[in-house]
Amino acid sequence: MSIIDLTSMAEGQTIVRNEINERLIRLQNQISDYCFQCAKCTSGCEAHKLLELEPHKIVALLKRGLIDEMVNSDIIWTCMSCFKCWERCPQKVSPVEILFALKNIAVASGKQIPGKYTTMLQSVLSIGLIQDIQSVTTKDNVTKKRDDLGLPKVSKPIDSVKFQMAITKLAVEKI
Amino acid sequence: MKKYALYPGCVMPTEQYAYELSIREVFPILDIDIIDVDGFSCCGEPLKSMNKLMTLYLSARNIALAAKQRLDLFVPCPMCHLSLNECQLVLKNDEEMCNRINSMLVSENLQYNGSINVVHTVDILHDHIGVEKIKEHVKILLSGLKVATHYGCHLIRPSEIGRPVDSENPQKMETIIRALGAEPIDYPERLDCCGAMLSSNLPESALTKTGQKLQKVQDHGFDVFVDVCPWCHRMFDARQAKAGETVAAKLDVPVVYLTQLLGVAFGVKKEKLGFNLNLSPIEKLNIGDK
Repeated sequence: MSIIDLTSMAEGQTIVRNEINERLIRLQNQISDYCFQCAKCTSGCEAHKLLELEPHKIVALLKRGLIDEMVNSDIIWTCMSCFKCWERCPQKVSPVEILFALKNIAVASGKQIPGKYTTMLQSVLSIGLIQDIQSVTTKDNVTKKRDDLGLPKVSKPIDSVKFQMAITKLAVEKI
Repeated sequence: MKKYALYPGCVMPTEQYAYELSIREVFPILDIDIIDVDGFSCCGEPLKSMNKLMTLYLSARNIALAAKQRLDLFVPCPMCHLSLNECQLVLKNDEEMCNRINSMLVSENLQYNGSINVVHTVDILHDHIGVEKIKEHVKILLSGLKVATHYGCHLIRPSEIGRPVDSENPQKMETIIRALGAEPIDYPERLDCCGAMLSSNLPESALTKTGQKLQKVQDHGFDVFVDVCPWCHRMFDARQAKAGETVAAKLDVPVVYLTQLLGVAFGVKKEKLGFNLNLSPIEKLNIGDK
């Protein structure tokens, strides 16, 4: 099974989609009750200054049910999860959680996943960590790895087959 | 001697060796015993954008592993720290989800049964060890060293998920640094993000965030930039030169881990603290052995 099958979960994965939809509906209900568009989230947003993400507009669009439009937009992938919007919202609305849910929907419905996310998932599936041991270069250009520095063995899943089975199950069927 | 199981996460044990080296040098001096546990995996936080349920599962899995050892969990990475704490909060309040996660954990003979203490470098040092004890071990006072601190977003926010420090004016690192004789100074960009989370899909923008913050730090005239997050450190230290290019500035800021700074003050040899692995201009820092 290829990595794409794991992440796209194609048709028939209704349980997955229901799960995320439920999460989004929950957020939607909370938001229609509480958000009054003060835009405090956007004023502090780290991605706003650089990439024009406007969390208060994300909330407004969700309120109006324009979910597909957002799922298809690149803007949801500009959030750097600094959590300032969640922390500072006077109404305890959490735009960052909405963005996570929208990105999860994008992935579950087989949209192109930007950047190295797929590589990270692949690595977690095979060795349990987002990357394997890297060689680093010292100031005087000597290459070193963990062992050279006298560090103990990296902690990773002992029975990698069992670990993979559980994770794969989660990615494919979501139980 | 208090024992903690070390949860290393992904970035520290596979790349940010200086953090791990300095932790393993400094904590035993402060009577903290670090126990290595085999079998941990990623905490899931970097995959949250793809599949939040997977994040929850991976975090629960690691907590269940640590609980088997009956030890509190020492988590040096703010991202892992947030993820594990969020998992405990979610599973405490959602019995159905907890049962579902447990039904999946069975395959690895694990069971999630309630919370354990998950602590980060900053709260072990500040709350569990205490500043007085740190002061007792200081051999070289770092007098006059002007320090810019950086906590890392995941360590300070969201406070709803029990963060160890205040979200708008965190002071624990400052208190620890003062105990070493150095002088932490507040600056307007202190709580700004390093941008590391964008590295996977918008690497240029991520570097710009890093560059913008470091440029300000440099303009303010700080001697050293101190952090406690392997993700942030990778941006500020290893990628400093590249980050400088994005803001058209020659960046020249020494960046060290808090635990490295502690080690120097405790008189530990710099090589043992991994100073030769820092790629920022740490030679500008006239502290510790040559």
